[in-house]
Amino acid sequence: MSQPVVQDRVKAKKEVRRIKNLPTVPGIVAKISRMVENPETSAAEVGRLIAQDQVLSAKVLRMANSAFFGMSRKISSISQALVILGFDVVKGLVLTSSVFDMIQKSMAGLWEHSIGCAAASGAVATLLGRDDAEEILVAGLLHDLGKVVLALNLPEEMSLVRKKVAEGPVLFYEAENELLDFDHCDLGQWLAEHWNLPESLAEPMRLHHRPEKAVLKPECVAIVHVADIIIRAKGFGNAGDILVPPISMAAWETLRLRKTDFLPILEILEPKLASLCDLTSIN
Amino acid sequence: MKRIALDKATPGQILAEKLTRPDGVLLANQGAEVTEGLLRMLARQNVDTIVIEEADGRSAEEVLIEYQNFITALEDRFARVNDSGILLALKKTMIFLAQKERDETLALLSPPEPNKAAPLSQE
Repeated sequence: MSQPVVQDRVKAKKEVRRIKNLPTVPGIVAKISRMVENPETSAAEVGRLIAQDQVLSAKVLRMANSAFFGMSRKISSISQALVILGFDVVKGLVLTSSVFDMIQKSMAGLWEHSIGCAAASGAVATLLGRDDAEEILVAGLLHDLGKVVLALNLPEEMSLVRKKVAEGPVLFYEAENELLDFDHCDLGQWLAEHWNLPESLAEPMRLHHRPEKAVLKPECVAIVHVADIIIRAKGFGNAGDILVPPISMAAWETLRLRKTDFLPILEILEPKLASLCDLTSIN
Repeated sequence: MKRIALDKATPGQILAEKLTRPDGVLLANQGAEVTEGLLRMLARQNVDTIVIEEADGRSAEEVLIEYQNFITALEDRFARVNDSGILLALKKTMIFLAQKERDETLALLSPPEPNKAAPLSQE
């Protein structure tokens, strides 16, 4: 990656600071509202549903981690939020979420890419027998949040990147770095800082294209990296370009995956994707 | 495969996923044919939705064209990474699964359609 131009980064960072509310998907919010009205709904069911929504998850976690609650340690997953804050609090956080529909306007297919990457992250984590699969799934959901920032708050830069990607076989983040000297990984990192998200979620946002740099949770970052590749390979959703990015050997070796693991991963993933499609069309 | 509400299910459809009760008891296996009796039993067990295999109204020709389009798009997506043994393994796995899905979809088409469906003869 080229050396960052400090002024551009400062400018982009200022843009990030202006963001207070990011959109979320109405279908899911509506479903959560219905679920929480049913007294038989378990906290775990609501947690799973909220975890499928990147912005709502981030918003709930942002609020859960805000000074409002004054938590002594950071809450890094919805299930943890439900345990620590309680069902009603999380319900309140969900229902007060107010901005819903801009993500799909901002970048067609990014929502599908995000939930697909989340499902793929969960599939890899499941195959590896990890007990933090939900957290990794959320990391997969949020990994491209920087692209939402780019689309919504830096539209001129976004159109430059789109033009470059349309011209040739070039990855979205390569175009960003060539044209802007920052990329959606930087934007995601700044947003994560601004939202007070835990490093366990910020790290995959920042490093999913450079997983070998991960320090806190290298395996989680490596899983999101591999999941991003798998879901792009499937052509599920749209991450801004059509290409499968190169795989990091370091990430691959960190996870000790074998080539034959792709088959069970894809077999776990397939039915999940089918039910996610279902979820996006609830209105 | 497609998830549908139980009351939209019809006999003859094939379950794409096994159905279990929350306590783990198996209700129906993957690959089982939906029957009136099965539907009544699932309703008694409060099952809301099932996942079925789709014959989905495509003709054999359309299935084959879609498969070919998938392979073409897959090659485009992998254009920059064909030098990676790991990613070639991923691509081969996806081709294997696409072939499997194609063949299973073709097998679901009944009665079997001729190879060349007459144009304008379908919805």
